[in-house]
Amino acid sequence: MAHEPVAVVGIGQTKHKKRRDDLSIAGLVREAAQRALDDARLTWTDIDAVVIGKAPDIFEGVMKPELYLADALGGAGKPVFRVHTAGSVGGSTAIVASHLVSSRVHTRVLAVAWEKQSEGNAQFGLGGGKSGSIGAGGAFAPWIRAYIRKSGAPEHIGWQIAVKDRQNALRNPYAHLHLKDISVEKVRESPMMWDPLHFLESCPSSDGAGAIVLTDKAGGLAAAADGRPPAWVLGTSMRSEPSSFNGRDPIRPQAGVDCAWDVYRQAGITDPRREIDVAELYVPFSWYEPMWLEGHDLAPVGEGWKMVDRGETAFDGSFPVNPSGGVLSSNPIGASGMLRFLEAALQVRGAAGEHQVDGARVALAQAYGAAAQYFAMWAVGSEPPSG
Amino acid sequence: MSTQTSQTIQFPYKRTLGPVIGRFFSELTALRIVGIRCGDRVVVPPMEYDPQTGEQLAEHYVEVGPAGTVVSWTWVPEPGPHHPLDRPFAYALVKLDGADTNLLHVLDTGGEDTVSTGMRVAPRWRAEPVGRIDDIEAFVPGETPEGPTAGEPADVRTMEFFSTITYTDVLSPTLERYAASMRAGVITGQRCPRCDRVFLGRGYCSVDALRLGPEHEEALPDHGVVSNYTIVTPTPYPGQKETEPFARASVVLHGDEMVVSQQQIIGVPVADIRVGMRVKAQWFPEAERNAAEISSKGWGTVAGFIEGWVPTGEPDEPAEQFMDRVF
Repeated sequence: MAHEPVAVVGIGQTKHKKRRDDLSIAGLVREAAQRALDDARLTWTDIDAVVIGKAPDIFEGVMKPELYLADALGGAGKPVFRVHTAGSVGGSTAIVASHLVSSRVHTRVLAVAWEKQSEGNAQFGLGGGKSGSIGAGGAFAPWIRAYIRKSGAPEHIGWQIAVKDRQNALRNPYAHLHLKDISVEKVRESPMMWDPLHFLESCPSSDGAGAIVLTDKAGGLAAAADGRPPAWVLGTSMRSEPSSFNGRDPIRPQAGVDCAWDVYRQAGITDPRREIDVAELYVPFSWYEPMWLEGHDLAPVGEGWKMVDRGETAFDGSFPVNPSGGVLSSNPIGASGMLRFLEAALQVRGAAGEHQVDGARVALAQAYGAAAQYFAMWAVGSEPPSG
Repeated sequence: MSTQTSQTIQFPYKRTLGPVIGRFFSELTALRIVGIRCGDRVVVPPMEYDPQTGEQLAEHYVEVGPAGTVVSWTWVPEPGPHHPLDRPFAYALVKLDGADTNLLHVLDTGGEDTVSTGMRVAPRWRAEPVGRIDDIEAFVPGETPEGPTAGEPADVRTMEFFSTITYTDVLSPTLERYAASMRAGVITGQRCPRCDRVFLGRGYCSVDALRLGPEHEEALPDHGVVSNYTIVTPTPYPGQKETEPFARASVVLHGDEMVVSQQQIIGVPVADIRVGMRVKAQWFPEAERNAAEISSKGWGTVAGFIEGWVPTGEPDEPAEQFMDRVF
């Protein structure tokens, strides 16, 4: 049986900040969800099912927050799902929601992902509640060292990406960091947090949420006819692999390669570098930009950093990466993947405002989590999928 | 006999209350209980959103109580350390005067035979309210609140609380054997018969999904190579002991077998740690070795048995051969 085409008709996000002390957790998710509903011109009662994503409960100390949040998300009497796939969760949440539509189980689905890092401490949570936590930066730093050494990349690549994404964030009013005077010198001279990663090559801790409303082909066409073009989902995929085994390539994990090609195949993409107009990649630490360019065959192995160095991934480059400012500029962990996915949708709707990439018709969004072992990706387009 | 291990983690969370719950707690500091109007009902404690329709509620607060009626209850004959009172009490649903919903709270009556559905109760307030639900210590029989006289309300916007959890694990047979071996000063791994990879205390092959049992076990060397590392500048959090930059290294045992993650390198400054450096285990004295860090949620760990790794002084191994091996 053919799948139902899926359209993103509503997009919402919060203003991401170090501390949203004006809102409860429920208020935070509502801010994003209400904006997505308003964008879709739908009400709470129009929604058939709600999918909630977030990272570990230990981050805020609220166990099973989906139960507490059902009221705030209009979940009474409806199916409410919680998704948890570490840092990739925001992407997985969007994908699970899209499958509820593509399988024709539901017609209008709200997907929400969030994190309120200010209520707890991610370093504590990631360390299993013990002293000596190395955090996410400490976990990824050795692989970044391996990437730099193996690829022969000059060290300024990481600094350059840190500057590029922060400059992009200046175009995005929702981004957490607005570092107007960011420069390569500032990144280089910022403290070494997780050798070889500097402070300014690392993501911030943010409070924030993202939300999307997905619907079927009829709903997408109706929105388009109403002058509100949707983003059409062209392909979705999730893949995982064990964190640890001899022979694993942590710089170009096979699960990420497979995930990307599964999306490309569904979307009819055979030359991703040429056929994709813009990408939102999950880059919490600067060096993950070239690693994922190579990991998803957007650049040949060992040459992702050269794309960066040539300026191809800059906002006005031939292959813009992270026009929103990326995870380096806003990191509400559970929501960070959703922000990649909704930014890709904004781009192909032509609705990204000052961070709109000209001519964006096909966009790729990617999120990864845990020990670079969980992947979630989708491709969205401005035209409905063919066939 | 099976081995149990136990771990406790604790952290002070800071809850942002938002305007509606914040108002409820602020009013408690002035010995007032407020609900919120939701359609033709008064909901207590106030909710931010209509649970039926999902719509945001206008901030129309209504003072309720202080007295109310017990709607239902359950007796707690033997309070534990986490209970709100140290003597037998009831959890009760109290419908405060003027409210349309029931508040779950504590009922302090002295004995089970003095509790009944329909009884009238009033709050006993904490001597110095701070803006938390336990500013009401308990509800007590009667119509009249007990406790201090009301002062000015405080502006309560956040609430801090410690969350503590203790995990008890019963170790699997694989981890039992692993712990016994480690106590004897021998690292034991399990080799997959299909892919020939060695795993530590895992009981299965991550690649081939085969069960690995005692027949697959073999002693591993307690020396190896630093495959990669990071130097962490500690970002402080409660309970953290590190204050200065510290290194965590991955050690690949004997050439290209098992990797042991997040290890300390002993006896050299962190700046001297290198990929390819050859190291050997520094075991704790046999009497001090313990399995406390082993849990059923993870794999074999050397913590509690091996203090860290000491450079052997031998020439380095080629870095490129090892540096991908981190976890």
